[in-house]
Amino acid sequence: MTFFQGLKMALLSIKYNKMRSILTMLGIIIGVLSVIVLVSIGQGAGDQVTSRIKALGSNTLTVTITSNSSKSFTASELMELAGSNGIENISPSLSSSVTTKSGSQTDEDTKIIGIYPSYESIAGDTLDYGRYITDVDIEYKLTNAVVGVDVATNLFGTTDCIGETITIENKQFTIVGVLTSTGTSSTSNDDERIIIPFSTAQRIFLQSSIKSFYVSTTSEDTITQAENKISSFLDDKLGVTSTVSSDGTTTNSSYKIYNQNELIETVASTTSTLTAMLGGIAGISLLVGGIGIMNIMLVSVSERTKEIGIRKAIGAKRKDILLQFLIESIVISLSGGVIGLLLGYICTIILSNVLSMTLAISGGLVLLAIGFSVAVGVVFGLYPANTASKLRPIEALRHD
Amino acid sequence: MLVLNNIKKRYAMGEETVNALDDVSITIQDKEFVSIVGPSGSGKSTLMNIVGCLDSADEGTYILFGTDVTHLSDRQLSEVRNKKIGFIFQGFNLLSKLTALENVELPLIYQGISANERKEKAIEALKKVGLEGRVKHRPTELSGGQQQRVAIARALVTNPSLILADEPTGNLDSKSGKEIIALLHELNDNGNTIMLITHDMSLAKEAQRSIEIRDGKIVNENIYRAGDAI
Repeated sequence: MTFFQGLKMALLSIKYNKMRSILTMLGIIIGVLSVIVLVSIGQGAGDQVTSRIKALGSNTLTVTITSNSSKSFTASELMELAGSNGIENISPSLSSSVTTKSGSQTDEDTKIIGIYPSYESIAGDTLDYGRYITDVDIEYKLTNAVVGVDVATNLFGTTDCIGETITIENKQFTIVGVLTSTGTSSTSNDDERIIIPFSTAQRIFLQSSIKSFYVSTTSEDTITQAENKISSFLDDKLGVTSTVSSDGTTTNSSYKIYNQNELIETVASTTSTLTAMLGGIAGISLLVGGIGIMNIMLVSVSERTKEIGIRKAIGAKRKDILLQFLIESIVISLSGGVIGLLLGYICTIILSNVLSMTLAISGGLVLLAIGFSVAVGVVFGLYPANTASKLRPIEALRHD
Repeated sequence: MLVLNNIKKRYAMGEETVNALDDVSITIQDKEFVSIVGPSGSGKSTLMNIVGCLDSADEGTYILFGTDVTHLSDRQLSEVRNKKIGFIFQGFNLLSKLTALENVELPLIYQGISANERKEKAIEALKKVGLEGRVKHRPTELSGGQQQRVAIARALVTNPSLILADEPTGNLDSKSGKEIIALLHELNDNGNTIMLITHDMSLAKEAQRSIEIRDGKIVNENIYRAGDAI
């Protein structure tokens, strides 16, 4: 008997037991559907977080200084590092949280950050209106500010508020620019921040030394080089010695250099664990579907005992009977898998609109779903098929 | 030629052991039409199962057209049944979901014969039993006599050396029964060896030779007419 013949027999049997076959398939359909949807949600969430982090610039380093020693360095010393050793831009930063006022309107818990003009390219900021912080603002410690769209709408009800004044820590600031909206994420809202000159921030917050700064490198490949340069600069200025471990991370009690890639890796591994867990839970329903197939195949075998007897009497070998029933269970599980896949595809399209996140079914996931449903058909079809093939022809023929 | 030598078959019935066949020896010539007759429980069904390679004997030897089939494996017995034996059962034993043509094709499927050749042979066999007009019908759409003729076509299609008919008229009215018997005679005239198993003495007389079996033993043998082979 050829495989094609077995397939024909299986399809015939499914056709004659339509309702039963569809109900059996349903178990697999639901299993594959939930695996597809849950895994794509997991992957989608992971991709979303990773892309948010990447949007900050994957070639960015964040440095925080924790040392309380009197030794320090000036902003101009720091700025000299830019342009060599793979360092593209550098900007000291000083941030805090404040309440801002304009007339009767207040905006609470606003993030304020003092920076150098080079921060614009490091953070990838773009403007909707006006201009960014300039070197002149730094030099004369001017009270000019660039605000996010949420700050603008909260205080003025409009995003176009160039020339308006706001009060921060009892100082009047003039708005010179409004940032382009970046959208909200769960961790921070980049639309609710105020950017002011670093020198002005130092004066307001009475902070003379630099406690943190941002660095952008020319490319992702020069991150290590830039990290090394910065740590040797800091070792020298702060008078400490740091140890560099084998994987390139600098360990030091006086400062920390955060690498954006490390963060991405951490997030990626967390979300992939989450995805695997979701997939695993959905996989249980696939397993239950498989048990359903086994159950119905056993019923089918006992119903068709006479048929098996006839087939054996006219010359079917054990192998032929085994193949016939095995193909039948694989056809059921594979059809269920394909239907589940199609439904899953439709569901992810709907869900990506509802949740407004990108859910993509990867090729690997398709292969996994199809492979798994075939495996379910084989594993759970084997026992009933084997039972059928072992029936003795005379006893099977006597069966009604 | 079929040679059964000292065949013994025992069944355990609870505590007791029943000798279904007790030292049975039969020789059947090629192209012979032999009937096995006996009441129910006589052991004739057991004999048919052994002759049909559906079961094997506990003792004795069975040589089927030159092949010793006494100690063949399950797989080899399937092949013997497929190629050398055609079965005709009392209950027809057709697959109800398949058409007449598909039922007749079935033994050829297990021989691995190509679809075109299979169809050709099956139609030819259905012609022989006069059912060329019922090729696409399913068993439920056919009368009992027609169903049995489909079963005969299925038995014929592999061109087997032996046709084994187990009460072939048992479920039929007398007119259809006569037609089936006439068909068996026709097959015999065309050179098929036929073994007919029945409890009906008058039916047994249709054969050239009748072997009467009772309590697992051969008790009588009648020759009704000389066949070509004798």
